[in-house]
Order: sequence, then C-alpha cells, then structure tokens
Amino acid sequence: MFKNILQTEWLKVKNYRAFWLLMSVTAISYPGINSIVYFSYDDITSGKTQGGAIAKMILGNPFKFPETFHTTAYLSSFFTFIPAIVVIMLITNEYTFKTHRQNIIDGWQKKTFIWGKFISVALVTLIVTFFYMLVAITLGILATKTYTLSVIFGESKYILLFAFQVFNQLSIAFLIGLLIRKAFIAYGIFIFYSFIVENIVVAYLKLKAVKYGQDFGRFLPMEISDRMIPVPAFIGKFDEAGYKAANVAISTHCVYTLGLTILIWVVSFIIFKKRDL
Amino acid sequence: MAVLEIKNIAKSYGKIKALDGVSFDVPPGSVFGILGPNGSGKTTLLSIILDVLQSDQGTYTWFNEKPTHLHRKRIGSLLETPNVYHYLTAVQNLRITKSISGRGSEQEIDEVLKKVNLHERKNSRFTTYSLGMKQRLAIAGALLGSPSVLVLDEPTNGLDPVGIAEIRELIKELATQGHTVIMASHLLDEVEKVCDHVAILKKGKLLAHGRVDDVLSDEECFLLSAQHMPELRAAISLFPDILRILDTPDGIECYFHKSTTTSLRINEFCFEKGIVLSQLYNKKKRLEEKFFELTND
Repeated sequence: MFKNILQTEWLKVKNYRAFWLLMSVTAISYPGINSIVYFSYDDITSGKTQGGAIAKMILGNPFKFPETFHTTAYLSSFFTFIPAIVVIMLITNEYTFKTHRQNIIDGWQKKTFIWGKFISVALVTLIVTFFYMLVAITLGILATKTYTLSVIFGESKYILLFAFQVFNQLSIAFLIGLLIRKAFIAYGIFIFYSFIVENIVVAYLKLKAVKYGQDFGRFLPMEISDRMIPVPAFIGKFDEAGYKAANVAISTHCVYTLGLTILIWVVSFIIFKKRDL
Repeated sequence: MAVLEIKNIAKSYGKIKALDGVSFDVPPGSVFGILGPNGSGKTTLLSIILDVLQSDQGTYTWFNEKPTHLHRKRIGSLLETPNVYHYLTAVQNLRITKSISGRGSEQEIDEVLKKVNLHERKNSRFTTYSLGMKQRLAIAGALLGSPSVLVLDEPTNGLDPVGIAEIRELIKELATQGHTVIMASHLLDEVEKVCDHVAILKKGKLLAHGRVDDVLSDEECFLLSAQHMPELRAAISLFPDILRILDTPDGIECYFHKSTTTSLRINEFCFEKGIVLSQLYNKKKRLEEKFFELTND
C-alpha cells in the first residue's frame, strides 16, 4: 500500500518542471543566505582592526562545528516559504485539474489521497533537510580547523529540529491549500500570514506579556515551531538570559509542535472525507 | 443480478434538488444511457455512484455488494471534463491511472492510446492537445485494463463528427465483448443509436426507464379496458393496422405505428362492436410529451 502511494505521488511530480524548479530555488537559497552571513562574518573578523578582533573573541565563529548546525538551521528556516509554495502547489493542482476526483474515481479511498499528500510533504521535508545538512557541514568544514566526530555532531539535534520545524510549517501550508483550493489565494494567505500577520501579533503579545501574565505569542501556529530553533548563539550573546530561557523552552515547543502537526493532519483527513469533491 | 442498483437517491444543493428519489437497475452487459438535458442531474448521479459526492438519501450497490473503493478500481470512469495532470503527457497520465487502479500494463497503455487514436501524440503534454484529443485521453483512461464496467459521462463531448462516430462504434464494440457501459448523454439521438437501455432524467426526477425499444420506440401504445375483457380482446384484434396486443394487469396494450390511429377511432370502433370502454389511454403520447419537454430545453 505504502509503496503504491509513494509510486503514484512520484509519478505526479517526476515530470513536473515547476516542482523541480522550486526545489532548485530552495537548494540555492540555503547556501545563499548562509554564505552571505558566513562571508560577512569573515570580512568583519579577518580585518586587522581592533573591533574585528573583539567581535571574533566575543561572538565566536557561528559556523564552527558543532554550532554550524544551529546557525544554519536558523538562517535556512527563513526560506521555508519556498518548499511551502511547492506543497501548496501540489494540493491546489489536484483541485485545479480535478484530479482529486479522478484519484478517488480510479479507486483510491479518500484517506489514501491524504496519505499520499502526507508522504509528499514528508519527502519534501527530507529533501530540504538534506540541502540544509550539506550547507551546515560544508560551512562547518570551512570554518573549523581541527575537529573530531563528536565535535561535529555535538549539536546534531538541530538536524531533527530543523526537519520537524519544516514538516510542521509545510503541514500548515498544506492545510491552507486544502481549505482554499485556489493556488494563488493560498500562496497569498500563507505568505501574508507567516511573514506579516504572525510577526506583528507575536511582537505585540511579547510587549503585552507582563500584562497578560504570559507570552501568548508562542502559541501561534508558525511561532510554535519557530521556537524549536532559537537564535544562534552569537546573537544570543546580546541577551544571555533570554537565550537561556529560549533553549530551555525547546523541548516544550517540540511537544506543542507535535500536537499541532497531528491536529493538522487529522483535520485534513476529516475535511477531505466530509467535503464533496 | 444487476451491475448497478440505485435506490431512491436524492441530493440537494441548497434549495435546488439535483436528484429527487431516483431508482433503477443496470443489467449486466447492457449499454445503459442516462438521458437528460443539461442540469438534469446526470453528472450528479454519476458522481454519487463513483463516491465523489455523497447522496442525502438513498443507497446504491455495485455488483450486488456494498460499494467500496475496490469496486471503483474495476470500473473505468470518465466524469465531466477530462480530469488529468495538465503538465504530463498522455502516457504519463495513464501511468498514474494504472498505478491507482491497478488496471493495465505499459503495453496496454500503448494499445489503448491506439484505440482512441491518440498514439501519435502520446508523448506530448496534455496542454498541447485539442479539445477532442483531451477527451480521447480521458476515454483512454477509462478503457485502460479493459474493465468490465465503464461509466462515461458525455463521452462524445468535444469530438468532431468523425470522432463521435468512432467513439460510438467503440462503445458498441465493447458491448458485444460483454462489457457493461453506463453513459450519460443529453442527445436523444445518441442514446437511440448506442444504448439498449435508458433512464430519462429531468430536473432530478426519473421520468422513465427501461429498454430503449420500449421507451423510445416509434410505436404508439393505447391501454384499453372494458367490463368484459375477453370480448374486448376479440374485438380489438380485428382493428385494422394493429401491430400486436399485450395483456397486462392494467388492461390490454395495443401497439400501432406512430400516428396511424387515434383514441377517437379506437373508441368508435369498440362502440360499433358493442363494447363500452372503461379506460382508453395513449401511453406513448405521454412519453412523447416527456421527450418534448426534454428536447425543447
């Protein structure tokens, strides 16, 4: 069964140029953003100025093993919207072409259809996590002079956290696509919400945290998983107490993220089952 | 044993009743036409039996069993527009059909594309196809793996006259090979030419169903009764130009060629023979009226 679903979903994307184009853009965006930061850091710290030397001493190299996994995860996560567009495309295409009907007519159960999309989202997550790992390891090698295996993978938990965060946010994108059904409206809503609305609300709730007794912003759908990957250590240096607290909250946010992800897929199953195709 | 049994199916979209208590059986090996004007509920009915829509009430069975996805795998279906991946070629699309339904093989994909005359363009993307070619691909998808039952919604839609003739021939050929074909059409002419059974829908209501010969014949039928039925039977058999006489529980059905007689003449004839009719009723005329309503939409 699993093999059949996987094979069918593969046939749908194998010869789909837009899919591969957007995956390539993702593949370029990760080394892009990370190397910009890497070389900027290099520029600042390699100068003979006193400021550069101080910066190097205080900040440390954010791309040294094992911190590279953390820094790269944080920076790459800004580009999750690209695979999110891929995911929205995969589900809204089915509605545009009415193939969501044909798949059922040809003999799939409705739950099989959603499983197919679940597997697709998981595969996209695996692919982009692989891109991220390549970048993290490459920059790690460039930035570190001597290293051992235990040093390299000292922060490898970030590989899992990155994959988990991507999967959760792609699931949100999927649900929006499933609900909206129209590609461009779904892209618009996803991007407007994740880049603008949620950031404003999170910032506002942070300001009001004292008044409300706690920071409710952390329960917003994207923020829940955003907080699994706190700011990199070198940024954390500017607010040591906040950085420590953020690190402590990682495990709690893993639980929230798991809950939200399960909820999204359960809701997707129910919607697809109940709604006329 | 029926391939498909529909019982009292109803479906509403808000206030509009798309289907209103439709029931009929599709016998195995038949070419069953669902005839009705646009908006009569044909596609809604086909969508329900393919589990794309849920009916508000009523039930249906496939092969006398509670319907499941496993039945759908065995049924080749084309619903409304061709539902295919626009960025893929004919072959790539049929591979997906094959993967989901389990019907067919690489070789059969090739064969089925030859059968619908799309073989030359099998490696072109769907977006480059003409309307007729798109329809041919959808038909190829339904035919793939030679399923025993085919559900075809307006199969000749978008085809040119040659294409229409080819597809009609194809359907007839399938029937001779023992396939059951259920097809929706808004063309009376098409149903008469291709189908052996028909169900007529209008505004969600089933107007008539049965063998095409019975429902759509050029004959006219009068239903007669009198107090003394044997006398009536003896008398009416002498009526000129009568084709045949059938005894039914409702009375005697007398068949004539279309517009060769009238109720008035039958009544006079019987009266002259000393028989007073208790019922005289033109059955065919009722159907003609239905058709008039249907075809003049």
